[in-house]
Amino acid sequence: MKTFSKYWSIFQITLINSLAYPGELVGRSLMIIPFMWIFYQLWKVTYSAAGADVISGLTLRDTLWYLMLAETIELGRPPIARTMSESVKDGSIAYILNKPYDFLWYQFSTAMGESIFRAVLNAMFGGLTIWLLVGAPNHPEGFIIAIPAVLGAWVLHFCINAMIGLSAFVVEDVSAFTWVYQKLAFIFGGMLIPLDFYPQWLQVIAKAMPFASAIYGPARLFVTPSLELFINVMSLQLIWILVLSLILAVVYRRGITQLTVNGG
Amino acid sequence: MTSIKVQKLQKTFQSKRKAEGLSGSVRSLFKPEYSSVEAVNNLSFQMEAGELLGFIGPNGAGKSTTIKMLTGILHPSGGETSVLGFTPWKDREKLAFQIGTVFGQRPQLWYHLPAIDTFTLFGKIYELDDRETKKRIAFLSEAFEMQDLLEIPVRKLSLGQRMRCEVAASLLHRPKLILLDEPSIGLDVVAKQHIRDSIRRMNQEEGVGVLLTSHDAGDLEALCKRVIIVNHGQIVYEDKVSNLKRKYLTTKMVEVRYAEEIAKDFSIKGVEILKVGHYGVKLKFDAAITSVDSVLAHISAAGDIVDITISDPPLEEVIAKIYEQAKEEDNKGK
Repeated sequence: MKTFSKYWSIFQITLINSLAYPGELVGRSLMIIPFMWIFYQLWKVTYSAAGADVISGLTLRDTLWYLMLAETIELGRPPIARTMSESVKDGSIAYILNKPYDFLWYQFSTAMGESIFRAVLNAMFGGLTIWLLVGAPNHPEGFIIAIPAVLGAWVLHFCINAMIGLSAFVVEDVSAFTWVYQKLAFIFGGMLIPLDFYPQWLQVIAKAMPFASAIYGPARLFVTPSLELFINVMSLQLIWILVLSLILAVVYRRGITQLTVNGG
Repeated sequence: MTSIKVQKLQKTFQSKRKAEGLSGSVRSLFKPEYSSVEAVNNLSFQMEAGELLGFIGPNGAGKSTTIKMLTGILHPSGGETSVLGFTPWKDREKLAFQIGTVFGQRPQLWYHLPAIDTFTLFGKIYELDDRETKKRIAFLSEAFEMQDLLEIPVRKLSLGQRMRCEVAASLLHRPKLILLDEPSIGLDVVAKQHIRDSIRRMNQEEGVGVLLTSHDAGDLEALCKRVIIVNHGQIVYEDKVSNLKRKYLTTKMVEVRYAEEIAKDFSIKGVEILKVGHYGVKLKFDAAITSVDSVLAHISAAGDIVDITISDPPLEEVIAKIYEQAKEEDNKGK
């Protein structure tokens, strides 16, 4: 119980800390509005050029609500890899490692604390924009059903990003890895185009990758909610979370012996 | 009881070397060259429970690296260490319950939040119950005079105020030992005094052992009973602070002011005259060679004394002398 309350407190303090500069928090979240506007223009033209109301099972409205949630997940997730890399570079990792808690659980708690308000604001501004442009989502209940999948998506993002962050123990600067990860997530996660629009062979590959479980899965569940899809998305997420967290734990055990703390 | 036991501790870092300019950078991409830096080299020492031990040395001497190994943050390249019965890098979390750490150059308090939030969080992290945490915060805020500081965002505090909160935070869980890495860095005289007084009080009242690294000889003089001086990752001196003073503080500086004008050719055998004025003289002598008695007799024979000051050289000079000696011995050894 005490262990849980420890991480819960870390989560809470990060949550409070994320409100230290409300102007910055809101200002950053407003960025989703132009993104949504651009997506709306692009997909409106695409649908009218294709001369179809439905492409691969998704209407224009579905596609835009899908992209809203995909963007919310992506923009809401905290830059864990960069934070970890910075703490290695400036030596502040010394203060994270000298307390009686598990390093990875600490990082996870702060990551979640940083995500919540950012994601809520992104969903609010993004949702409002899309609502005004194309109307309410076809399945409003998707909001509720997608919540566990969004949380799962962040766990998955955390596992991958923490692994990139841990490489900072050896290479210090991880910006190249985060760049590659982000681009892979864009393409194979379905950040810009729903995976359903890909050719069949590419869909099979993309959907089998963890990026799809972190973005496409929850976003698709949100626009076309069903029990079957829920089970499908959640179980795939669970498998990836298990596999990646196991690898993460092993990488951490090895990485910690390699750590060099800068300064002082 | 021994609280820290270090035997033949070793830490070697690999650092990449790169020749000058663009060609050097390109070459190092294809054929990187590494050199080993021995940050800590065969270090052995002990610290008793409740002791106030100073661990000093110039920049890059290996002080911080040693502290990071003692807290379990860094894995050593060799040697053995026991801190309160734990091997730090194997039992990092268990050990963390028993020790406190302050790295003077880096804040551990949440920068944008009032210090009280970090204190409450630490209470949870160290698994104290809420009532105990509150009681402890009340006690520490009195001991560190920070009653008025706790509800102000940390970023708005002065460095001195912040450091008081930092040290207090590291004592929240009643550690048996605190490791202070340059706690007085950048502080003014008053703030330093404040911190020193509070640390001394915690040592006396709660018996918490203090291992302190510092560049400031004042910290050492004010706080520590024993000192270890390191350079190039090795111990160059280890003794009681009082012995250090007795052995090395034999040089005395004397400043005298007379009621009447004194002779221009004022001199005393075995004494270095630094300055002679119309009414005063400044001199230096080694008390181990020239007796204090005879010097004072000469001084008073020269005229009616209005004022006299006898002082020791600053401890910084003594430490610098020890470094110099170590360097010379090192060179001889080579």
